[in-house]
Amino acid sequence: MAYNNFTLETVRREFQLEIVESAGVFSETETVAPREHFIADLQEKVQLAISIGTEKARSELIVTGVLFELREYLDRRISFFSGTEFNVDSEKGLTGVCDFLVSLSPILSFLEAPIIIIVEAKRENLTLGFGQCVAEMIAAQHFNAEKGNAIPCIYGSTTSGTEWRFLKLEGQRLHIDRAVYQITQCDKILGILSSMVEQKA
Amino acid sequence: MAYSNFTLETVQQEFQLETVRSIGIFSDMEPMDPSEILTIVLEKKVPVAAAIGTEKARSELIVANVLFELLEQFDYRISFFSGIDFNVDVEKGLTGVSDFLVSLSPEQFYLQAPIIILVEAKKEDPKFGLGQCVAEMIAAQRFNADKGNDISRIYGAATTGTEWQFLKLEEKCLHIDMAIYSIAQCDKILGILSSMVEQKA
Repeated sequence: MAYNNFTLETVRREFQLEIVESAGVFSETETVAPREHFIADLQEKVQLAISIGTEKARSELIVTGVLFELREYLDRRISFFSGTEFNVDSEKGLTGVCDFLVSLSPILSFLEAPIIIIVEAKRENLTLGFGQCVAEMIAAQHFNAEKGNAIPCIYGSTTSGTEWRFLKLEGQRLHIDRAVYQITQCDKILGILSSMVEQKA
Repeated sequence: MAYSNFTLETVQQEFQLETVRSIGIFSDMEPMDPSEILTIVLEKKVPVAAAIGTEKARSELIVANVLFELLEQFDYRISFFSGIDFNVDVEKGLTGVSDFLVSLSPEQFYLQAPIIILVEAKKEDPKFGLGQCVAEMIAAQRFNADKGNDISRIYGAATTGTEWQFLKLEEKCLHIDMAIYSIAQCDKILGILSSMVEQKA
């Protein structure tokens, strides 16, 4: 049992989550304008990622760029991790490798609490990534609490690079935003991610 | 059996390769100046990739950017693929996912012959990727021949992103360059990759 074995249904049952689905949970968030050269670079890479089509290419050419831009925008006050093993509770199935995670600590060399955002990359169907993403968000909750650094909300995103969906976990209440954001609204996506970091989302 | 099961030793035995090891096979290649954007990108991303340290982060933050630059420098007359299934001969173990490959065809939606460069990413030491890379190079030789698009040489690179080691396969003769190029010599690395594309290396 590991993160990728969870579906939204099994993760809800196992961790007794209450699910609230609504449109535009994050729609009020202010946009963040990416730097000009980032946009120019991104446009080319998005086309290429779509052509290649693999989860790996989408992660390399789009998702990493967006998270890196977020870190730059926030003056490197945060850290992000990619492909890191994140084993929290093997009995509960909270083990495996995380596609991406963002911590409020600026340290890159090892993972430090508090973890704030979990990003799960998918090749196509974003909804199918929900179970895994939520399991990782719960693991982050446990991880933060164990390190004595509990924060009220943990955020999540499932993304194909070109499309992004967002989640919020508050205690045992899971908010699922029905809205799907396109990478063409990159300013909105960066805005949502940065409001998550500021814990205002 | 798949690409990842091969070591340099087993791949040499299985495919009866004659191996020539020398230092600086590619040292005479003209350097290629990286674009300003790549220089900026690497300056920022290389330390982050090294700190995170996973193969995934190294691929995303360094290798993908270098290959993307190659694509730009050749004006999209070539294509590159990331994380695609590359199954050529199940019986001989020539199956699996290739980290990165470059084809001389501009077709970016699917893989077309001739494949020219195979890049294998590793977390720690490029030499751990040599066996796997060579197996993929042999598969590329067969793939090209099957498609009636034989080229005399196939090239390879095993890399951690920060360090690069290069290979050349001519029929059954495998040349291993014992020189290790550091990403600090990015112009040199791009020069070697581009001479491979031009089949001058």
